Amino acid sequence: MTRTVLIVDDHPSFRASARMLLEAEGFDVIGEAEDGTSALRAVEELQPDVVLLDVQLPDIDGIEVATRLSENGSGPAIVLTSSRDLADLGLVRERSPVRGFIPKAELSGAALEALL
Amino acid sequence: MILGGIDVALILTSNHVDVRGATAAVALVVGWGFIGAGLFAWDRRPDNSIGSLMVATGFAWLLGLISASNVPVLFTVGVLLSSVYIITAIHMLLAATRGRGLSRGDRRILTAGYLLVTVGLLPMYLFLDPAKGGCDGCPDNVILIQHNQTVVDVASAVVNLVGISLLAAVLITLVRRWRRATPPQRRLYAPVYASGVALMIAVIGQLGVQTAGSEGSAADILFIISVIPLALVPYLFLASFVRARMAQGGAVGELMSRLSAAPRGGQVRDALADALEDPSLELLFWLPEGERYVDASGQHYELPEDDPGRAVTKVDRDGECVAAIVHDARLPHMSGHVDAVGAAAALALENERLDAALRAKIGELRGSRERMLRIGLEERRRLERDLHDGAQQRLVSMALNIRLARAKLNEDPLAAEQLLASAGTELDSALEELRELARGIHPAVLTDRGLGTALETLANRAPVPVELGELPDERLPEAVELAAYFVVAEALTNVAKYSKASYATVQVERDNGRVLVEVADDGIGGADPVRGTGLRGLADRLAVLEGRLEVESEQGRGTTVRARIPCG
Repeated sequence: MTRTVLIVDDHPSFRASARMLLEAEGFDVIGEAEDGTSALRAVEELQPDVVLLDVQLPDIDGIEVATRLSENGSGPAIVLTSSRDLADLGLVRERSPVRGFIPKAELSGAALEALL
Repeated sequence: MILGGIDVALILTSNHVDVRGATAAVALVVGWGFIGAGLFAWDRRPDNSIGSLMVATGFAWLLGLISASNVPVLFTVGVLLSSVYIITAIHMLLAATRGRGLSRGDRRILTAGYLLVTVGLLPMYLFLDPAKGGCDGCPDNVILIQHNQTVVDVASAVVNLVGISLLAAVLITLVRRWRRATPPQRRLYAPVYASGVALMIAVIGQLGVQTAGSEGSAADILFIISVIPLALVPYLFLASFVRARMAQGGAVGELMSRLSAAPRGGQVRDALADALEDPSLELLFWLPEGERYVDASGQHYELPEDDPGRAVTKVDRDGECVAAIVHDARLPHMSGHVDAVGAAAALALENERLDAALRAKIGELRGSRERMLRIGLEERRRLERDLHDGAQQRLVSMALNIRLARAKLNEDPLAAEQLLASAGTELDSALEELRELARGIHPAVLTDRGLGTALETLANRAPVPVELGELPDERLPEAVELAAYFVVAEALTNVAKYSKASYATVQVERDNGRVLVEVADDGIGGADPVRGTGLRGLADRLAVLEGRLEVESEQGRGTTVRARIPCG
């Protein structure tokens, strides 16, 4: 079954490229959001299987968005992404409710699939 | 003297004064006492109204006594003016206990008082025939219309009622002032308050004489007794005056000896506070360079303007303002005392002013260094953000497009080509953004080709036409070139963003060991260097080089940014 994806990032150029890349590798990109607030709304509306979530968003921090999405326990699978390196972000993976992290430049359908 | 002589003559020949000798003596003691003491005080303190009021009281007293005359006109004038001295004396009392001008309440009391003892008495005297009113030997009342005892009784009752109310108001004012007074004020002004009590007793005595309606010798004797406290008033005032002078002289002498022992920081203030007996005293120093006041630690300080409780006395030395003494407005001493104390301390104040100026300079440098550090941090944060949001995003998106293109190369070459073309565009943009960022960190053209060429490239890139005036041909110290470049860059950025100007001019002159950078436009003006972080940042950059930034930007008159940078 095709997995549905919501892309959350404030840079339109990245959203466009990521959509093309993931769709080319068999994912169904059902929506895009440019900040944390609209991401929370879109998840509720679209119920995607996967949320590709940028760590730095203009309003709510990506980690905070991830925490809120996983609060009721049955949220979508969350994969963080950033153009920064994982070490620069200071993420503590064990504590964050996400499946994993993909650096933006290394994004591909296969990389995403490997984390799900 | 003459008036006194006339009075004595009139009293001694009077048909309606029975105890002539004693009355004449009392008239002279009181009248001359007031005038003599008043002239003395007036001569010593011409800026103070007490002396003149005392003289006025003496004259009013003597004028009132021409009522002893047997000539009807003089008698009438004398009677009409016989109470004016009471109000001038009250005037003097209120002025002396207040110390700096009359309060609004004082003015009300005095206006009512002066009206009462002039026009207020008229109705009574228009209907009083002295002969029928109980004074057999009195001459005729020349303003008499017709004797009417009822009108006289009513008018007299009204006058007495108003008079007593005014006296009560004066008494309340004096009691309040006494209660509010600080111990040194009480010590200094005790004789004045004592004279106030004496005056009250005298006036109440006079009222008693009038209302008791006694006749002949009894009335005269009562009058004389009631006048004795009045005779003391000028001497009590003089005592207060002399005490104040002695206290001032002593305070100034002690101050001089304390200051001669090379006072250290803060000690001048303490010495002044002691000399003026004002623990709340604050000392501020004038910095002519910054045109502002600072305290001893060099902190900026605004003079109190709307505070009625605080007074400011400026201290000059060689015609230039050195310091300002901010003190309790109700200091017990006469107004010139603060000036005298300030003048005595002027040299010490000048020395302390130099210290304060140095501290202010250190404070400014510290502030500007902190701002430079903060600006440095902010610039780095901005650079990181610009790199992250700009070039880095473009490179990420390029990497994804290239990967996608490679995947599509065989099955869809057209799409692959489009993706590569898009990657190429991203690459160009990323390069341009990186170049712009690098220029913001340090313009390479400045290092390689000098300020003149660097400013030409700035002018060429500006969206508003820029006319370049004089530019230096020779190379200047690197730090100076960099500061001048950033002044022009920031000013031209502001011209483009805010000024709505049609053109701008730029010139850099080297003159007399400094470089003058000037950027002017014909725009809307109204730029505020304090608000704009850009201009503030420039000022800090210049302060490090001991340079200064001036911004002229009147509404509607264009903006001129001028930087002066010292340059060996």
